[in-house]
Amino acid sequence: MRVDNITLSLAWRNLWRHPRRTWLTVGAMVFSNILLVFMISLQFGMYRVMYDNSLSLITGHLQVQAEGYIDEPRMRSTVPAAGGLANALRQAMPANNVAVRAMAFALVSSAERSLGVQVVGVQPSYEPDVSNLPGLVKQGRFLKASDERAAVIGSSLSRNLKVGLGDELTLFGSGRDGSFAAGIANVVGIFESGSNDIDRSFMQIPLTEFQEVFFMGDQGHSIVVMTPDLFELEPAMSTIRSIVDADGLVVHDWDELQPGLRQSVQADMASAWFMYAVLIVLVAFSVLNTQLMSVLDRTREFGIVMALGLAPIRLGRLVFLETGIMAGLGLLLGVAAGSAVVSWFGFHGFTYPGLEEMSARFNLPGRIYPSASFASLIWGPSVVFLACLAAAIYPAAKLLRLQPVAAMRAA
Amino acid sequence: MTPMPGAVLFRLAWRNLWRNYRRTIIMLAAITLGVWAMLFMTAVMRGMVDDMVQTAVRSLPGHVQIHHPEYRDDPSIANSMPPPDQMLLDALAQAGVVAWAGRVRVPAVITSERDTRGTTLVGIDPEAETGLSFVSDDIVEGRFLGSPDDKGLVVGRKMIDDLETRLGRRVVVMSQDPDNEIVDRGFRIVGVYEANLENLEEAFVFTGRRYAQSMLNMDESISEIAVLGKSYRDVSDLSHLKQLEGSAREVLPWYELDAYLGTMLSTMDGFVLVWIIVVFLTLSFGLVNTLVMAVFERIREIGLMQALGMRPSMILIQVLLETFLLLAVGLAAGNLLAVVSVAALSDGIDLSIVSEAMQWMGVADVLYPALEIRDLVTTNVVVIVLGLLAGLSPAWRASRYQPVEALTKV
Amino acid sequence: MSSVRCVALCRFFFQGDQTIKALDHVDLEIDEREFVCLSGPSGSGKTTLLNAIGGLDKPTSGEVWVAGKRIDTLGKSELANMRLHQIGFVFQAYNLIPVLTARENIEFVMQVQGVDPEQRRRRSMSILGEVGMDDMEDRRPAQLSGGQQQRVAVARAIVSKPAMVLADEPTANLDSVTAEHLMDLFVRLNETHDTTFVISTHDQRVMSYARRLIGMVDGRIVTDEAH
Ligand SMILES: Nc1ncnc2c1ncn2[C@@H]1O[C@H](COP(=O)(O)OP(=O)(O)OP(=O)(O)O)[C@@H](O)[C@H]1O
Ligand SMILES: [Mg+2]
Repeated sequence: MRVDNITLSLAWRNLWRHPRRTWLTVGAMVFSNILLVFMISLQFGMYRVMYDNSLSLITGHLQVQAEGYIDEPRMRSTVPAAGGLANALRQAMPANNVAVRAMAFALVSSAERSLGVQVVGVQPSYEPDVSNLPGLVKQGRFLKASDERAAVIGSSLSRNLKVGLGDELTLFGSGRDGSFAAGIANVVGIFESGSNDIDRSFMQIPLTEFQEVFFMGDQGHSIVVMTPDLFELEPAMSTIRSIVDADGLVVHDWDELQPGLRQSVQADMASAWFMYAVLIVLVAFSVLNTQLMSVLDRTREFGIVMALGLAPIRLGRLVFLETGIMAGLGLLLGVAAGSAVVSWFGFHGFTYPGLEEMSARFNLPGRIYPSASFASLIWGPSVVFLACLAAAIYPAAKLLRLQPVAAMRAA
Repeated sequence: MTPMPGAVLFRLAWRNLWRNYRRTIIMLAAITLGVWAMLFMTAVMRGMVDDMVQTAVRSLPGHVQIHHPEYRDDPSIANSMPPPDQMLLDALAQAGVVAWAGRVRVPAVITSERDTRGTTLVGIDPEAETGLSFVSDDIVEGRFLGSPDDKGLVVGRKMIDDLETRLGRRVVVMSQDPDNEIVDRGFRIVGVYEANLENLEEAFVFTGRRYAQSMLNMDESISEIAVLGKSYRDVSDLSHLKQLEGSAREVLPWYELDAYLGTMLSTMDGFVLVWIIVVFLTLSFGLVNTLVMAVFERIREIGLMQALGMRPSMILIQVLLETFLLLAVGLAAGNLLAVVSVAALSDGIDLSIVSEAMQWMGVADVLYPALEIRDLVTTNVVVIVLGLLAGLSPAWRASRYQPVEALTKV
Repeated sequence: MSSVRCVALCRFFFQGDQTIKALDHVDLEIDEREFVCLSGPSGSGKTTLLNAIGGLDKPTSGEVWVAGKRIDTLGKSELANMRLHQIGFVFQAYNLIPVLTARENIEFVMQVQGVDPEQRRRRSMSILGEVGMDDMEDRRPAQLSGGQQQRVAVARAIVSKPAMVLADEPTANLDSVTAEHLMDLFVRLNETHDTTFVISTHDQRVMSYARRLIGMVDGRIVTDEAH
């Protein structure tokens, strides 16, 4: 659209003929822009924590498993020679972290209590690279490669079993072949992950020990891989596929391993976008109203300039330009104020009553720190900008149909 | 003082509203959309939380639960309690209690020939559970338990798959007795249930209460009593049970039992209000603009009415009345639209494309929006009150014009 | 008792460093049932004087008394009440409320006064007859000619039998025939209802109806004679 200086200054002056009307319209944009910038940054911030927390605790970014294990995690669906395979992966992809795990259910007994527990065999020297659970040990320490008969358990589990550091636990379960399996372990560490489920029913022992107790030989149930970027998995996956060529083994990415995660984000996005769309349409209505009024107010004036020989298209352009200036003001002020709000909360964190209790269930912190990025700052306001311009179509189109004589007679 | 001439003020306000019908219609469309969005969003959220709570309440806790004071922290057989005494039985017989059941409920490990899983063994009185918890209604294979002495085991669909076993087969359930001796017993699977959340199908296995008591060497003791009232929203009908709390037992409503759900419900109320206000504020700019324009165009008329003897307060009321009418028409349309759209969705919104996420949050993947009277009332009251507040500034200005200035305005 | 009394009435407008004396120490007394014309060149202060008498405007100094009551010290609501019950206004143009029909415009003042509907209707119908507008009661102002609008405005001004009617150039927009009709109407009302009339005008024909002619120049009364 070609805009000359006269049109521009005309548009600018027209806007300030009704300063209050203009400011109210711009105000609506600024208000919704601040809201959008804040909410979108908050969402981004929350999603990141959600991804990090849910993947780094257990799942990792990728896992090599026996085919079918993902749907029906059975003892005998194993990865053979898991330790060796993990070493091969480490060599082929030095930038990634790799660790082997094996899993079984067992009845775990202390002197006073017996409970069903998910027992996980881990490689003490590699596990801290693929999971942040070892870092969450609050009492005692995490497992060491040299440990024998050692276990790390969750805080609720230690309470329910009535055990502390150094206490002995016995395990009963079924081994890989379905036969009776039993073992002994001393508590060396107690972790607090923040996730109720994990703290209540999770126990880690050294992989070698696990393999012995549950008759696993050199087998494991999964090889967990942490990649440098959870959204760039393809290179790692193809490397893994080239190394893991055995039949019956598959590589799953986190989306397959934890399908609820991405969908939760999607479901949350969908409801958020419903809300944003409503706000944006309401702002567009506000612009439509203002611009229609300003066009109708000036019908007579427009009639006169048209009679003087101005093409209706130029008047339409004028209306768009006025809208554009308002929307631009709304965008600038909205992004500026929105950034200020975001950076304040980015520093202090955002919370509301009840958030902490609710987040605990999903292993999320009680305070969210909005994450400002170019995208999160500009996305919402840009859509508002475009919606406002779109709202000017009808008032501008009315001008194109204006008859000069009728217009000049208008009150 | 002359009285307020209501009829003429109303007529003026109504006609003035339609004077610039384009502007009014755009504003009405905005209010209608805003109100619809307030109500619809609220209905969807309410439907979701409703489902969450109902599912949770049905998956054993009931509306109010009675158990040993230590049981919650340490849900072990050691923290069981004696069967209900006469006083408790009397309390449970009072009006307000729709159903109740005593249960044995202990952590256990279940083993088939193929695999082992952790679960919770629940010993129940099958008849008492009807209507109280989900199991009795959701048997898909085999049969439900017949009596407290039933030796059969009812397990979830997911559990039977995990264990690679099937109906009629035997499994071993292990737990501990009050002396921490491991006890195990073989059970025949007599029934399979399905639940709307998959993890519920692994969480519990059911057998007859007496049979469980004998297996666990716990005599007549039970772990908990679940009580169902008329509605989960208001458990005040069951408040008399709270008086029976003592050193030997704890009485807790569901929202204290499950802090997550309790918080969810109260946070929802806050969220609904915030959402309504945010939408309203977005609307308010346009609303104030419309009113300012409407007053601005009529300054001369306002002067005229003052010259004819209309008091400033009447001018103020006239503009507020116009605001009220605008809001009322918008609200009526918005309410209607919300009611219609919620009714149209009475078969539920299919969310199966994000079903895993729904499982995660503890809700079924068909969502039934629930438009509640109190949300309707809140929405309408908030919009009217805030709307009139927004109208106050233009109305005040209108009433403050000097008659001469107003009359000479062009 | 006099209907209107002004004592040393001043109304100044301050524009920058310049003071416009729209009313400059005006002393004036108008008795009940008088029929007064204000005349004078444009800008001489006629409108300002009428506004001050009607309580639409506050004088800079001096006193204004209407029906024995001092009004320049009253608040807005009391002034409105005074106008409602004692004064009828007719302006040069834009006299009617656009969203109301002719009859509703006439009934407007009575409605604000709280007159019951039946009486309102009776009085508005009879006054419509008096001003010769019986068949146009349901028209909106936009559907009436300037003269018709002016007649409705007059009907509204007198329908609740005010003690005084203030008319600011009521004939300025009317052709001579219609203007004469209107003045005949004023005179008749003055005689039959004992209403005081104060009319500002440039129009010689209007002045010829007056029984007292007050001439103004530069905010001062320069002539005051019976006619
Ligand atoms: N609001 C105002 N601000 C400044 N000056 C004013 C204002 N109103 C009136 N005046 C001035 O006061 C003087 C008297 O004005 P007024 O309207 O009373 O004259 P008038 O006799 O009614 O004139 P006309 O016959 O043209 O209607 C004029 O000089 C006018 O410019
Ligand atoms: Mg004048």
